[in-house]
Amino acid sequence: MKRYRDREKSLTQGNSSGKAKIWEQHEEEEEKDAGMDELLAVLGYKVKSSDMAEVANKLEQLEMAMGTTMEDGITHLSTDTVHKNPSDLSGWVQSMLSELNNTTNFDENGLVESNKQNRTTIISDDDLRAIPGGAVFNKLNEPDLLSSESGSSNKRLRSSPIIDSARPVVLVDSQETGVRLVHTLMACAEAVQQENFNLADALVRHIGILAVSQSGAMRKVATYFAEALARRIYKIYPQDNSIESSYTDVLQMHFYETCPYLKFAHFTANQAILEAFTNCNKVHVVDFSLKQGMQWPALIQALALRPGGPPSFRLTGIGPPQPNNTDALQQVGWKLAQLAETIGVEFEFRGFVTNSLADLDCSILDIRETEAVAVNSVFELHRLLSRPRMIENVLNIIKQMNPKIVTIVEQEANHNAVVFLDRFNEALHYYSTMFDSLESSLTQPVNNQDLVMSEVYLGRQICNVVACEGADRVERHETLSQWRVRMNSSGFDPVHLGSNAFKQASMLLALFAGGDGYRVEENDGCLMLGWHTRPLIATSAWQLTAARGEL
Amino acid sequence: MGTNFFINDNQDVLIEILKRLDGRSLGVAACVCKLWCGIARNDSLWEHLCFRHVSQPQEGVRTVVLALGGYRRLYMVCVRPVLNRLRKWRPIGMESDSEIVRRVYWTRHEVELSLSLFCVDYYERVLLGGGGGGGGGGGGGRHGGDGARTTSLMFLCKAVNV
Repeated sequence: MKRYRDREKSLTQGNSSGKAKIWEQHEEEEEKDAGMDELLAVLGYKVKSSDMAEVANKLEQLEMAMGTTMEDGITHLSTDTVHKNPSDLSGWVQSMLSELNNTTNFDENGLVESNKQNRTTIISDDDLRAIPGGAVFNKLNEPDLLSSESGSSNKRLRSSPIIDSARPVVLVDSQETGVRLVHTLMACAEAVQQENFNLADALVRHIGILAVSQSGAMRKVATYFAEALARRIYKIYPQDNSIESSYTDVLQMHFYETCPYLKFAHFTANQAILEAFTNCNKVHVVDFSLKQGMQWPALIQALALRPGGPPSFRLTGIGPPQPNNTDALQQVGWKLAQLAETIGVEFEFRGFVTNSLADLDCSILDIRETEAVAVNSVFELHRLLSRPRMIENVLNIIKQMNPKIVTIVEQEANHNAVVFLDRFNEALHYYSTMFDSLESSLTQPVNNQDLVMSEVYLGRQICNVVACEGADRVERHETLSQWRVRMNSSGFDPVHLGSNAFKQASMLLALFAGGDGYRVEENDGCLMLGWHTRPLIATSAWQLTAARGEL
Repeated sequence: MGTNFFINDNQDVLIEILKRLDGRSLGVAACVCKLWCGIARNDSLWEHLCFRHVSQPQEGVRTVVLALGGYRRLYMVCVRPVLNRLRKWRPIGMESDSEIVRRVYWTRHEVELSLSLFCVDYYERVLLGGGGGGGGGGGGGRHGGDGARTTSLMFLCKAVNV
């Protein structure tokens, strides 16, 4: 509409800010500036990352306002408007808002008046009258801005259900909304980082609204992250880890069935162990993460069929205490024993229940002289990083066992950064990719319950990474390079996973429909499984430094 | 020749013929009549099907496979899907599609992988089913009823169970 463009020209210079995917993009040269939001810079808008939150809010308000007036025939705004002065979107938005206020009689818009008076009574929303100080939306007055914005956005958000009941908020383009969703998530995390909990609270609610407009993986990821953020903001931490352990086992089973990550982990680790055990007649595997024992049938079978016949196989499984004192480990052991007996492999099992791996003592494990030992840890070692010295202690215990090989499978991501915001962003990217890969598996006749449970499994990890701190935060994933440094400095040398493991892993992935997206990569002797270009889990094998030529 | 030749009277000939069929045909043959069904379900036929083009079947494989549920189940659950999927995946100069099932060139890796997956399948049945849903249901059990519980290999199955 012409009058909007006229308005623009008369705008005063505001902050350099702008975030509007709604409008047609004005072609400008890209500018990568450390202080600017990169994504928007690509589109030609200069936004300071620090201003993101404010601008996001302003634009939400505008969109809300527009959403309500959508049917009054201003839809063309979303497509026809050419933004002449993208560096001053803020001021332009102001003008839009005041314009809309004049054109509609909708009381809501009174909220976002820039120069108008404070509190407007909203129909049937008593909460708003309780807001002290009103919501003066005055962008010239910086110190007030944040509090007033949060006030206004609170108002706005509280009133949005009213809008919703009358008309759903029409979000112009779900792809744009998707980007906005991501930005709001990051803005919220930043607010939490800065301990601006009012703003964070407002943003988190808004995420909830935005997330609904999405579909598929994006929606689920956003929902989980929003929940985790909310927990962090309101300080409602998930409690009581003991009950969770059996539940986690169930969830992990579903995760095992839905996607190839765990299978990849098991198969590659087994291959390394198998190769380490050639020519050994007595073998002993210590499994730090027994769970349901899904890794071991394949190894037992491979041992049974190896040339020269099977060795005698001992398995020590370690697991957390169960809530009702059921001996889950023994049950798993018994089933594995059944399998081993069926196939004809001599088998012995021992289970150890412990809350923490650091409580283990090498002598308890009864390592016998003549046997070859392998230590296996799938997604367990990162938990030890939650307390100081724990990982070193456990690595020492491992060394005392004198293993032939140590296989470690870990998530390939750094979710253990000191700064919350870094962790959050890393986790957001990582889990988005994970959920994407889960979505693609829908092309097969996958049990829907499995999918949901797998998502819950991942959701709990998200919650832990984002909402918890200190000793509670156990999902302290670190990248392969970080683990390499740690293992090297603790006295371990890498063992290269051979081509057999690679071939087997590649074949396994080719079997999965949607297998096109999965990628196996070899990284200096370690194998990584990823989704498209992003590696997600990494398997590595280690031996003691002095152990070459021994046994 | 005055006498008529009834195949059903010459089961050894029948077996020789069935030995040369592919899996699907074998399944179809099992639907012809009770006699054929009994013969077609004979595990040694399926063993032959699984491994006839493998250069040297390893010793001890039979013990393991029979213990885990038999060759017919191995074929239904693992071998056929593995080969079908990998056939599409491997860019080998293969003959036309109609030849696919007949010319089954196994590599050692495919054999190993299939056996491992088969073992996992068995374990899941033991673990989750408490020993139920056994070989009698064959491949069919996996598609419905209690067989649906062993889902870790669900990604492999899609086809109609004959």
